[in-house]
Amino acid sequence: MFYIHQSSCISHQPTFNEVDLEDLKPIENNLVHAIEPKYENVPLGQLRRMGRALRMGVGTCMKLLGTNKVDGLLIGTANGGIEDSIMFLNQIHDYEEGRLTPTAFVQSTYNAIAGMVGMITVNHGYNATHVHRGHAFENVALDAAMLLKENPDNCYLIGGVDEISVKNHRLVSLAGWYRHDNVSNADLYKGIAPGTLPGEGSAMFIVNNKSDNAKAKLTSLRMVNSFDENVVKEQLNLFLKDNPGKIDLFLQGENGDNRLLKYYTACEGLMTNETTAARFKHAFGEFQTVSALAVWLANYVLQNQKLPEHFIKKNSTTEFKRILIYNNYQGAQHSFMLVERVK
Amino acid sequence: MSKIVVTGIGIISPIGNSVAENRAALQAGKSGLTSLELFATRYATLLKFGEIKITNEDFKQQLGVTTKGVTRTTLLALYAFVQAIEDRGFTNEELQSSDTALINGNTIGGMSESENLYLDANKNEVGSEYISSYNLGTVNMYIQQRYKIGGVVNTFNTACSSSANAIAYGARLIKNGFAKRAIVGGTDSLAKFTINGFNSLGILSSSLCKPFDAERSGLNLGEGAAFLVLEKEEDAKGKKIYAEVSGWANTNDAFHPSSLSDNGDGPYLAMKEALEIAKLKPEKIGFVNAHGTATENNDEKESVAMKRLFEKVPAFASTKSNTGHTLGAAGAIEAVFCILNLMHQEVYANLRFEKTIETTGLTPVTEYTKMNLEHVMSNSFGFGGNCSSLIFSKV
Amino acid sequence: MDREQEKLILKQHIIKYLNLLHVTPEEITDDMPMFREGLGLDSIDSIEMVVMMEREYGLKIENPKDGREILQTINSMMDFIEKGRAAKAAEEKA
Repeated sequence: MFYIHQSSCISHQPTFNEVDLEDLKPIENNLVHAIEPKYENVPLGQLRRMGRALRMGVGTCMKLLGTNKVDGLLIGTANGGIEDSIMFLNQIHDYEEGRLTPTAFVQSTYNAIAGMVGMITVNHGYNATHVHRGHAFENVALDAAMLLKENPDNCYLIGGVDEISVKNHRLVSLAGWYRHDNVSNADLYKGIAPGTLPGEGSAMFIVNNKSDNAKAKLTSLRMVNSFDENVVKEQLNLFLKDNPGKIDLFLQGENGDNRLLKYYTACEGLMTNETTAARFKHAFGEFQTVSALAVWLANYVLQNQKLPEHFIKKNSTTEFKRILIYNNYQGAQHSFMLVERVK
Repeated sequence: MSKIVVTGIGIISPIGNSVAENRAALQAGKSGLTSLELFATRYATLLKFGEIKITNEDFKQQLGVTTKGVTRTTLLALYAFVQAIEDRGFTNEELQSSDTALINGNTIGGMSESENLYLDANKNEVGSEYISSYNLGTVNMYIQQRYKIGGVVNTFNTACSSSANAIAYGARLIKNGFAKRAIVGGTDSLAKFTINGFNSLGILSSSLCKPFDAERSGLNLGEGAAFLVLEKEEDAKGKKIYAEVSGWANTNDAFHPSSLSDNGDGPYLAMKEALEIAKLKPEKIGFVNAHGTATENNDEKESVAMKRLFEKVPAFASTKSNTGHTLGAAGAIEAVFCILNLMHQEVYANLRFEKTIETTGLTPVTEYTKMNLEHVMSNSFGFGGNCSSLIFSKV
Repeated sequence: MDREQEKLILKQHIIKYLNLLHVTPEEITDDMPMFREGLGLDSIDSIEMVVMMEREYGLKIENPKDGREILQTINSMMDFIEKGRAAKAAEEKA
């Protein structure tokens, strides 16, 4: 598929500048909010009218594009600027469709992130925004893999971003996906109730076909659309057969929702005793493009050969060479990604 | 290298509910632009719209939709999807296979339910039936679940170029071995949200739109959906082959969030790169289905870009003069129109054109014309500088 | 209220509507160009300012071409506001 060279991340933990994953930061009000940093390379004239998702997305991209040039930009976002969308909708209501200010409408468009980065860096190359829910980032990765097959000497900026947003939180909460009782993120996996904790964040990568100086390799990817855990397990089996070898770390997207445990149990059942099992949504929260942050975390683990205790579910290996990420969103979109160390 | 060919098409637009109806309307120079009738908005009679005069309840009945929370955007997509797969004639096994991809582009998703979204986001204590439907991905999620599509499922939102990118992605999935067949297309429905959004930018016209005309005063919004079935030529033995998808490109204008650069850089590069993929020289293009929204900015910059690329600008027209601008569905609907151009060796009138734009002096096709065509180009340019171009070729 | 106080309020409205972080009213001088150079605003901002004129001052700018002239600088906007007020006052008298 491709080699990962640079990466940047905004999350609930300090990850943008100095990375600190050792101590799990607590949450308030059941929200795994991201820490917004002071943004570099983003013109104030543009920053001023960006909503949160746009700021995080553009901010993580521009951290990498200050000095690097890429041939195209691919962003996964399943909600886009949902807060701006609803702000605009509220304006429609409040002003009875009278004269309305357009900024919220323009900035709410899902492709505003990729469009804005393209504009700031004057990048005329490929520019795509994938929005398919729990497969938004996975399709970005697949698209980039194809682009690199078609243009072997190119390099691309890819990633995923989504925000919690007050209004979107209300929608997802009304749909029954969030915990209503007060939950600490440290206790997320007790699996006693339906619902999880909402999160937000952004992870971006510069990827190409060159192994020299690469940090990690995304070797293989598979997407599954099914509510049946047996189908998901079968697909994982096929994925493992296609990618034989020891899995050192099974990094899975368990999120505490007791309705979704069955998928993780089924998949973990295919791992051996030699595989460390770990989880990440207590640190990042649940959102459609969190798998991008899982890749960022896998990259971090391969670089540093360590994973802080609070991520670990079952300890085993101490050398990390091959990491299998399994994630699903609301039990509907499932994905497997194999991330390997580059020698 | 194998050719990627089109073996099934389905369409519903403001000018017809089938491929045949759309062709008849295009040939006759009919437009589907009227006042808005199916939902209440201040602008219902003040502006012109390409509205499909079928209610959601009628769609649900026709399509056998009994599940709650299925929005108009999904209903339109389903309508066109069913036509396309029946046209191609798929077995259930083929649809459910892990090498069948389903890709669409749309910009409104379930937000077409603007009233319910407002209430759910602000007031409701209990979610409405659409509470889980607002997301753009719910369209393909519904179709995937209903037909158990087994391969890659994806949704693009690159504004008005969304479904052009969906078509290109499907073609590339097949070319790169990630799918054997791809059902690709786009959908969008009229919504208070988009009407007010575009109106706030001052680019909607209160009269029937006049693409490429010096007196054009903005676009008319439309709705609709279209799907194409793509596969390799060698896998299509015994099936009707409509055309080849021979070229595609995605570039960025990198100038402004909602208008094109003075030199039309994004459009120029998109058309140029699509030609490179198709391995064609510009003079081989017989006809361009232009983006042609009838905004002051687009039509002038698209003309500038065409003049930069083509020594002699080929025949061109905007079918948005018939359907209005169907946003996320435009790329796919206009792809079907390009296929009709090639199948029947004809081009359709750019309606209501009277006077050339002074700075560019280009005249579109103004009458239904029979024409020898080998290769046809389709342009789609959107917000965020997203520019896409597709090329279809006769087989 | 005198013209200086009115200008301050106008600048505060502009900063609020356009979310001009880190720009103080003092930094917006009276003849500074609003668009491209000077304050560096773009066409989306000009629409925001047309809405601002309607909501804050009750003044409509129907024609985009008029808008460009009116919104060029603080001074040109003040002239437009004062003219609009005078016209309203004359109407009310009549």
